[in-house]
Parts: sequence; structure tokens; C-alpha cells
Amino acid sequence: MGKKMKLSNMKLISCFLMLFILSGCIGAREINDLEIVIGMGVDKDENPENILLTAQVVKATAGKASENESRGEDSKAFWNVSSRGNSVFDAVRQITHKTGNRLFISHNQAVIFGKDIAKEGLQEYIDFFLRAHEMRPTALILIAEDRASDVLNAKPETEKFPAVNIAKLIKTYGFTSNFYKVNMEDFASCLLNPTKAQLVPLVSIIQDGEYKDVYVSGMVVFKKGKMVSKLTHDDVRGLLWILGKVKSGVIIVPSPNEQGKAVLEIIKAKSKVTPEIKDGKIVMHIKIREESSLSEQTTSENLATNEAFEKIQEASAEVIRKEAMAAFNKSVELNADIFGFGEMLHKKYSKEWKTLKDNWDEIYPTIELNIDVETKIIKTDLLKKPASPSE
Amino acid sequence: MFGYLFKKIRYFSLKNKNECMLQNTKPGKNNSEPISPDLEKNLEVIKGILRDSSDVTTHEFNFGHDRKFKGALIFIDSLTDKAEIHKNILQPLMYDVLLLQNNVDMDFTKIDTIRKNLISTTDNLKVTLLSDLLDNLLAGAAILLINGSKEALVIKSEKRESRGIEEPGTESVVRGPREGFVENVKVNIALLRRKIKDTDLCIEKFVIGDKSKTDVYIVYIKSVANPKLIEEIRMRLKRIKIEAILESGYIEQFIEDNPYSIFPTISNSEKPDKVAAKILEGRAAILVDGTPFVLVAPMVFIESFQSVEDYYARPFFASVIRIIRFLSYIISTLGPAIYVALTVFHQELIPTQLLISIAEGRERVPFPAIMEAFLMLFAFDLLREAGVRLPKSVGQTVGIVGAIVLGQASVEAGLISPIMVIVVSSTAIASFAVPAQTDSGTILRYIYLALAGIAGGFGVIMGLLGTLLHLASLRSFGTPYLWPVVPLNFSGLKDVFIRMPLWAMSKRPKAIVWNDFDSNNQNPGLMPSPYKKDNIDSK
Amino acid sequence: MSIEKGKISSQQLLFLIAGFVQGSVLLIDFTVGLTEHQTWMVILAALAITTPVVLSYAVLAKRFPGMNLVQINDMVYGRFLGKVVSVYYIFFFLMTLSFNIRDVGELYTTFLMPDTPFVFLLVVFTATCTYAVTKGIEVLARISHLFVVTGIFILISTFIFLIDQMDFSKFLPFFELPFIRIFQGIHIVSMIPFGETVAFLIIMGCLNNTEHVVKNTFFGLLIGAVSLLIGAARNTAVLGRTQTIWTSPSFQSIRLIDIGTVLTRMDFLIGIGQTILIFLKCSLFFYVLVVAISQLLGLKSYLPLVLPLAAIEVIIAATVYQSPVDHTMITQNAGIIYSTPLVFIIPPLSLLIAKIRGLPKSERGKGT
Repeated sequence: MGKKMKLSNMKLISCFLMLFILSGCIGAREINDLEIVIGMGVDKDENPENILLTAQVVKATAGKASENESRGEDSKAFWNVSSRGNSVFDAVRQITHKTGNRLFISHNQAVIFGKDIAKEGLQEYIDFFLRAHEMRPTALILIAEDRASDVLNAKPETEKFPAVNIAKLIKTYGFTSNFYKVNMEDFASCLLNPTKAQLVPLVSIIQDGEYKDVYVSGMVVFKKGKMVSKLTHDDVRGLLWILGKVKSGVIIVPSPNEQGKAVLEIIKAKSKVTPEIKDGKIVMHIKIREESSLSEQTTSENLATNEAFEKIQEASAEVIRKEAMAAFNKSVELNADIFGFGEMLHKKYSKEWKTLKDNWDEIYPTIELNIDVETKIIKTDLLKKPASPSE
Repeated sequence: MFGYLFKKIRYFSLKNKNECMLQNTKPGKNNSEPISPDLEKNLEVIKGILRDSSDVTTHEFNFGHDRKFKGALIFIDSLTDKAEIHKNILQPLMYDVLLLQNNVDMDFTKIDTIRKNLISTTDNLKVTLLSDLLDNLLAGAAILLINGSKEALVIKSEKRESRGIEEPGTESVVRGPREGFVENVKVNIALLRRKIKDTDLCIEKFVIGDKSKTDVYIVYIKSVANPKLIEEIRMRLKRIKIEAILESGYIEQFIEDNPYSIFPTISNSEKPDKVAAKILEGRAAILVDGTPFVLVAPMVFIESFQSVEDYYARPFFASVIRIIRFLSYIISTLGPAIYVALTVFHQELIPTQLLISIAEGRERVPFPAIMEAFLMLFAFDLLREAGVRLPKSVGQTVGIVGAIVLGQASVEAGLISPIMVIVVSSTAIASFAVPAQTDSGTILRYIYLALAGIAGGFGVIMGLLGTLLHLASLRSFGTPYLWPVVPLNFSGLKDVFIRMPLWAMSKRPKAIVWNDFDSNNQNPGLMPSPYKKDNIDSK
Repeated sequence: MSIEKGKISSQQLLFLIAGFVQGSVLLIDFTVGLTEHQTWMVILAALAITTPVVLSYAVLAKRFPGMNLVQINDMVYGRFLGKVVSVYYIFFFLMTLSFNIRDVGELYTTFLMPDTPFVFLLVVFTATCTYAVTKGIEVLARISHLFVVTGIFILISTFIFLIDQMDFSKFLPFFELPFIRIFQGIHIVSMIPFGETVAFLIIMGCLNNTEHVVKNTFFGLLIGAVSLLIGAARNTAVLGRTQTIWTSPSFQSIRLIDIGTVLTRMDFLIGIGQTILIFLKCSLFFYVLVVAISQLLGLKSYLPLVLPLAAIEVIIAATVYQSPVDHTMITQNAGIIYSTPLVFIIPPLSLLIAKIRGLPKSERGKGT
């Protein structure tokens, strides 16, 4: 018995070994054979049937770039390679004619769509980026003011790679709360929502002397996957006030004595939206709670007093309310539910929602907002008083 | 568990019986005939058997007051202490007062008479068989033969060159005793006796090896060790039929549970304090003459990660170090495999910046990553082996050449990527942190690397699962190898990943001490309590 | 006369059941398409429905100590009918095992190693299971707690890593979906993770002590169910609506982990966790299968059957479905129908018949 066992073990082991050796390293890809893509742009081609795909590929020689630079060679650390195709995947595969290797898109930081694509509708182009197993759901999605390939070509001063630079720009949205980060997963989740409008950050290029600077100029509103309009920085902050997603930013209010300004830094903001259906009318009760610090003042009067604080707080609450209302009015103008009010109603009034959802477009403009803002100044940073002779 | 052991024991005992019977029917090689009363004849026979070896000294002499008795002293002069023989055997025999007076009525042809009245050494015994006589002679005893006596007196007067007790080379400690075992088993037993002064300390002797006749001792504490364990070790030792035992490793390979496993199931040590501690836990030590390495059975996997110093240092640092040891074993076995799996199969799991630096580092490397890893690991093992075998001064040179040639030059030449050098060197350093598992770790490292190269992370996980299953099925003398983690034992876990304070570990390991695991080896409640203020103030 | 000589304790049974149920964390994805954000409710409801049934297995095992399912069937239903019932069970074990093996292949070819050949993965995985089965139930039982602890650790750590991306309002509204879909979801969950524990009727024959078997079975089931619940709640809270479109919501939610650019790309966590848990599940199923067949054929040892059955399993697993779509369709519609009587009807029926006929007593009489 023991001998038999050993024999069958030997057989098993030899089968195993053979399997391993014969199957070889299938699926193995050496790291230096990869075309590491860090950014992708999708544009419409001149031929309306085709798209133009631009992939930003890391040059593995980048480490030696400093040597090359001294010799005056092309010191770019990246290579923007583009190809045309009937669909995104087609174009991705067509690119291998130029790169010699399959693109490796797991490290793709951002996918930038040209404006013409956005207007036509993102639905049909986004599928590949959601479906491809190499794509990560954390990759950012952006719309270019003009053409995506131009954005990818604008070489930044401090970063090596334009795509990484853009991703960094987007991820630091919290400093101003003038736009916000949208990744593949967020966008897919919005697309699935029948009533909610989708927002995607918009990147533009400004020519600054001989350099091109990329900056985020606002957000694009999509309705049913198609671009309908743009939101300005202020509109987006108004939206974020209502959603309670403002992280930080600056509020400027006139100082109580009407000379100069008080500049507040938002430290913390929260909001609570309670939908209510009353006699067939929809009212959204919005409670915004904000805390800020006095970061700058352009008047010689000492603003660090309770009386001054009260006035500044009132004024800043008014600013917030105005921003929020402006955003809502804009959305009514576009008739796009950028806030997801429909979703909130759905969660609270799931029965009523069944009838509401079919003619949401007609109902949305009739929604009333009831905004209640409460602000607090909680610190004055390093100064107790401004550096001016006290009276 | 017991059933398994019973079965084993019965199997071995039956097997042993059969072998004994075989042994008996075979014609003995050494003559087991009795010693004849004729001295001349005896001497001739002995000389014949020893083939007139030049170091066998035969001293014939007459004694008694009228020199009427004839005797002979046979010894091997390279093994015996001549001064002692002269002083304690020859001098009394030839010049003792008893013998010079003629009125003494004693029959000096009787060995007993001589033994009791004349010989002043303590360690002597009577033999009647020629084979016993020869065995003792070869072990370094002096043999006294008296004409007319059917018995011979064996006088243990062996002289042995022994190394002094030094700090062991394999297990050095910062804190703890510096003494280590030596080649002389007597000294080793003395070292253990000094640690455990207990009447229950049993020392059983076996002689193993047809030609080497090596002394092998089992040392255990009778009231603590499981009698079944001792019986099992006895059985397994008796089974060994071999020409020579040159080192305890011979014994280990004949008595271990699973000879096909890459994991050792019997531990060894050079440190008396470590062995004593294990004996106190209920294990049995096997001491072999001629080697400082003492075997201890049963062994559990966790023991490899425990060092004696863990118990001498305070528990906090000891626990940290122990966790570091576990991590280093993981790094040393899995390091290159994970690197290869990540860079060849799962590049999406590497952070972007790191991936770009790795890609830049590998840019000029002509080999696939798996090949690179194999080459570097091979080079490392080569260097290590060369460094161990060479004299110390040359070993250093090898180290420098290896570091510069392999590390620097190959990176600069673009043959190896710098990150691979980092991976392999950290693996190498980590592999030294767990000396007891260095062998298994080295083998596993190559196996996992091969699996990673073929099937990436999937291969590594399958390899790990296979290893885990294998480890979980291993037993060392009935004790599950992964105890107390598998099977789970909570009181055993006090000394695994962290080392609890000594006062909190009041029970002996349950899996080893089966018969009385409930008995404490110390009283509970020995936790030091803060001083009472009164005690000091009352002065 | 039992085939397995190894004995397991009822504490080990607890971990085996917990690990077995945990192994189905990814299989919850079958229901998510139907039950969306109400999956957690479905799991709880299915647990409530299944617990009495699973406990009836334990009671059955307690009534027939040291006997496995095939022996019990022979005794309760008589020689011929008992064999028929046992063959039905064996068919169920055979198919379920191959589905589970296929799941591993799909997990790897879809997410982790898409370029590796499918059959290669299946063969390597099945070979490892084969190794485990040849080692016997004792070894598996001894290491089961490691698997369970690892599984819970991974579930909880991913839950914590994702906590800032969670939006618990995604569970609202509580009751929205039509009842028929909830019912179907409950049926699937009660069959796939919970109902498959019927396989333990074979393993319970190896218990050394059946005293606490009911209690331990219950807690094992509970640990498994809590794990499923954590996984389902995590997916819903993180993904919300999108969990219905991804092939594997669990995988997708773990791919979203992104904390300070360091704790990111944690896919390996679910890779490791899922592989070892499915490994435990497949090894147990494989063990159950070989023991059941060799008991049915009256063999003295199950070892000769292991290799041929492994080959058969690989072939079934590789060819049974055309695509994951096929897999989902068959599991949602056919798979759970044919196995319903095995899980819900036969064991309680056996218990009832045994009670009426006073069966174990006569066995005891025969035995002594």
C-alpha cells in the first residue's frame, strides 16, 4: 500500500512538473516590454466614422533623460502616440502598429474626451474604458475644451508627464472646491441614474507666452450622456454647497465698515438635504453648516471681535446662499438635475417617485429650495489684530 | 493521536523483534567466546583479532610477594592515560604492601580480589566474554588479564583530548550563557546535569554503529516527558543498523518522521541552556558522542522562530524581535517570487511611480526577470557557500569581490537591474534571521520563484497552500508540526507571535507533555506586584 | 465500517462550515443582479429560512453518529432507494464542485491573469485540491481556522479601507423591488452558500464527538453568513447602482480602494482571500465527492478514486459553460431547481423517517 501511494505521488508530481514546464510562462510580460500608458485622449477624427485615440506612453529611457538633455536631444519623458479606428478598442489595437507592443493601460491616470465627442454623447465611447480589465475604475474622466490630444501635448514645467499633471490638478480640487473629481466608477454610476445629470471636469489650454498651460476651467453638464452646457467655477461651488462636498475654498465678503474686504477660508462644510412633498409641491430643505477661519483682511479695522464676526458670518452665509441659488437656477435653466434631487426623492418617497420619474423634466423646474445657512468663524490664524495702529 | 502512536510503536516493536531474531541467527563477526584461564592463549587471540596494531600495548608482568602470579595489561596507548595506568594499576599491583607481605592469604587469581583490594580507580568492571573485552579495549579502557582467571578486569582509564567549553559558533547570544557543548559527550551530560539538578533526570545510554560503537544518550525528565515519547525514541534508536555514527545528523536522518519533507522535524542545538529548557518542557534530548550538536525531539515549526534570548530579554522587545523573525522568514522565502510575480504578471498592482522606476532600471537588462532572479539567487548562494568553506581571511575577499562584481559591476553593465539587487540582498539578509529554517527557506525560495515565473501570483498562492497542507500534515514524534497554530491551542499561542511574560506562561506545552499537561511548571500568580509603600516606609 | 479514519472535533466543524460558506462570497454576485441594494436583506432572510434545515443536518448527524450521508440513506430508505438518493447527491456534488472550480478559473482569467490559459489554471488548482484530499479531512479541518481568519481579516480590512467611499443612503429605499425578484434572490442565496452545506452530512460522519454539533453548525453558519453580509453591504454601500453592471461587484469595489496613493491597487487581497476560501470549499466538496462514491461502491479507501475524479472534474469545469453569462443563467434558473429537494426535502425527510422507524436503535442492536 505504502509503495503504491508513493508511486501515485510520483506520477502526480511528474504530471505537475510537465504541465508547468510545457505551459511555460504564458501571460508573462516583461516590464520593459510594456507600453505603460498614463493618459489617453479620445477625439473625433476628420472622418466622422472614426475616432482619433491618443495614448501617452512612458519612455523607459526617462531616467537617462538628463544625460540626453545636455546633448540637446529631445528630452520628453513621454511619447504621445495616436491612431485612428472605428471604435476605441479598434484604435487601441491599431496603435500596436506604431508601438510594437500592446498598450498597458492599468496605470492610465486620466481619460480625456474631446468636446466634439462629448457633444455626440459619451455613452458609446466610455464602454471600453469600463469593460477593459486593465482599466482601473479610479482613472479620472475629463473633457477637453477643444481637442484632447492638445491637452496631452502641453508639456508641464514641473511634472514629467502631462497626464500625471492633469490628474494632480484634478485631485487637488479641494483647495477651491470649484470643480470636483470624477472617476470612471462615479461616471458609470451617474450614467445608470435615469434622472441625474452627469458632471465632468473641463480642461482648457491657455497660451501664456510660448508656454501652454493646462487648467481646469469648470465642469461640463451631461444630460443622458450628452453634453448640454458648462458650469462655471462658482456654479460648481454652489452645487457642492448643497451636496455638502465643499472641502475648502475662499469666501470674500465686504468688511463690516464697508472699507476693504474680509477673506475667509472654508475649513469645514456640511449639508443636509431633506426632500418634502407637500400638497403635490416638492420642497427641498437644505441645511448648510460651514466653519471658516479669517485668513486675510484688507481693512485696518480689527475684525477679530464678536460683533464683527457676527456681521461677517451673516454676509458669508448670504454669499453661500447666493452661490447655491445660482447653481440651482442654472440647473433649472438647463433643466438638468445636477444635484441628484430625483435620487433623494426616490429614497424618501419611493412610492410617489414611480409617478414622478416619468415626467421629471417637467417637475424639476418647479422644485422649491429652502436654504438655511449657518456659518461660524472659528479661528483667526496667527493674528489677533491686524498690523495697524489701534484707535 | 494515541492510536496512531500505538500503531507505530507496535509496528516498530514487531519489526525490531524480527531484526533481533535475524541478528541472532547470523554468525557473529566478533567472537563471543569466553575468556580462557590461560593468559598466553588469551593474549594470542586478542593480538590476532587486533591484527597486531602498533598502538596496542601489552604489558606482561608478575606480581605477588614471590612474583608467582602472572598478569597482563592491555591497552591502546593512544586512547589511554598512561600516567593513570602506572599510578593506579601497575604500582598497586606490583608494589602494594599487601603483595609484599607473604602472610597475606589472598587468591590473586580472582579478579574480584584484585578489584576490591588493589585497584584504586573507581570506574572498572568485570567481563567474561572476549567481545566485551574488545569493545572496552577499543573504547579506551585498560584490560587486566590474570593467568588462571576466566574473567578480565576492565579499567576505564581513557584519556581524551577535549576542546574547552567555548561559545558556540552557530548560536551566539548577546545575553545569556556563553557555554556550548563540546565533542565529548561526558562533558555535555555534565553541562546538562548542572542545569537540571533533579532526581528525575534520566540518562539512557545506547551504543549504535557496528564499527563506530558510538555512545548515544537520551536525556529526559521522567516525571515530565511523555513515556510514550521516550519509548518511541528508544524504538527508533534501536532500529538503527549502521556501520558508523559520525555526527548526530546520522541519528536524525534515521529517526525522523517524514524523511521526504524539506522541513526538519528534529531540532538541534549547541547550547546547554536551550537544550535544558526544552528538556524541562517535556522533550527528550539525544546526545551523540563526538559532536557538539544535540538533537531534541519533538520539534514544532514555531521553535525555529524562538531564540533562547527571547526568554532572557524582557517580553516586549522579545515579542517585537519575534514578529520581525516571522516577517523575515516570509521575505526570505517569498521576496524574489513576489517581485517576479508582480513585475511579470501583475504590473497593475505596482504603484505607477514605482513601476516607471522599475521599468527604467530594467531598460537595458537582457534577461527576463525570472532568469535575472535565478542568476542573482544562485550567485548569492554560491558566495555564501564559498564564504563558509573558505578560511576566514579568504572568505572576506570573496565577500568583497562578490559585492563589487555582482552588485555594482553587473548593475553598471546593465546585466541586472538595481531593484533586483535590492530584492535579492534583502532576501539574503532576511534568510539569516531564522537559522533553523535556512535550509528549508532556501529550497522554498527557489520553488516559489519557479512557480511565480510560471503562473504568477496564482502559482505562488498554490505553492503556499501546498506548503501549508504539507506542514499541517507533518508530525514530529506525534506532535503536530504547526502546533499550537494548527491545531489551534490558545494557551500555546502565548509563546508564538508574541512572547508573554514568563509569569504568565505557567503551563507546559500541551502537545508535548501529554500525560500531565495540567500540572504547572510554576505557580500561577507570580506576577511581580508593585511594592507596597508600607514595606519601605516601615523601616 | 467507515472510509475515513481521521477524526475531526466539532470545533473544527465550526470553522469548516464558516470557511465553506465564506467561500461563496463572490457567488453572491449571482443574486446582486436581481436584488440590487436589497441583497443584505435577502442574505438575512435566506439565513433565517435555511438555518432550521441546516440544523436538521446536524441533528441527523447526531442521530447517526459516525455515519455519513450514503450510509444514512441506505439505512433510512433501504438498499435500493437509498442508493438512488445517494446517486442523486453524488451528481449534485459532482456538478457543484465543477462549477466552483470553474469560478476560480473565471476569477483569474477575467481579473487577475487574463492571458493565462483557462485549463492550465483549472488543472493546477484541482491538483492542489487533490493534494489536500489525499491528506485527508483531518489536515483540512486543522487548517480551516487559518482560512476563516484570513477571510474575515480581508473582508474587514477592505471594509475599513473603503469606509470613506461608502454612502449608506445607497441602501435606501428599503422596500422597492418586486417581491418575485426578492423571492428568487432568497432562493439562490439559500441554495448556493447555505444549502450547499448539505455536503457536510458526509463530513459529519468523521466527528469524534457529536455532542455540540448542532451548536457548532449554527455558529459556523452564522460566521459564514456574517461574512457574506459584510461583503454584500460593502459592495452596496460603495457601488450602489453600478453593482448590477459589473461582472464582479466585490472585485470592483476593492479596485476602488485608494487611500493616500499608498493603499491602492489592493486587488491581490481579494485574489488571495478568494483563492484560499474557494480552495477550502472545493477541497471539501472534492473530499465529499470521493468519499460518497467510494462508500457507494463499497471501497476500502477513497484514494484510488481521487486522481480519476480530479480529471473528470477538470473536464466538466472546462466545458460545462460557454461563458460567464451562461454560468449565471444556468445557476439562476436550473442549478438551484434540481438541487432544492436535496437541500430542503430529503434531509428533514430522512430525519422524520428515522424518528418514526426508530432507526439508530436497531443499528446499535446490530452493531453490538
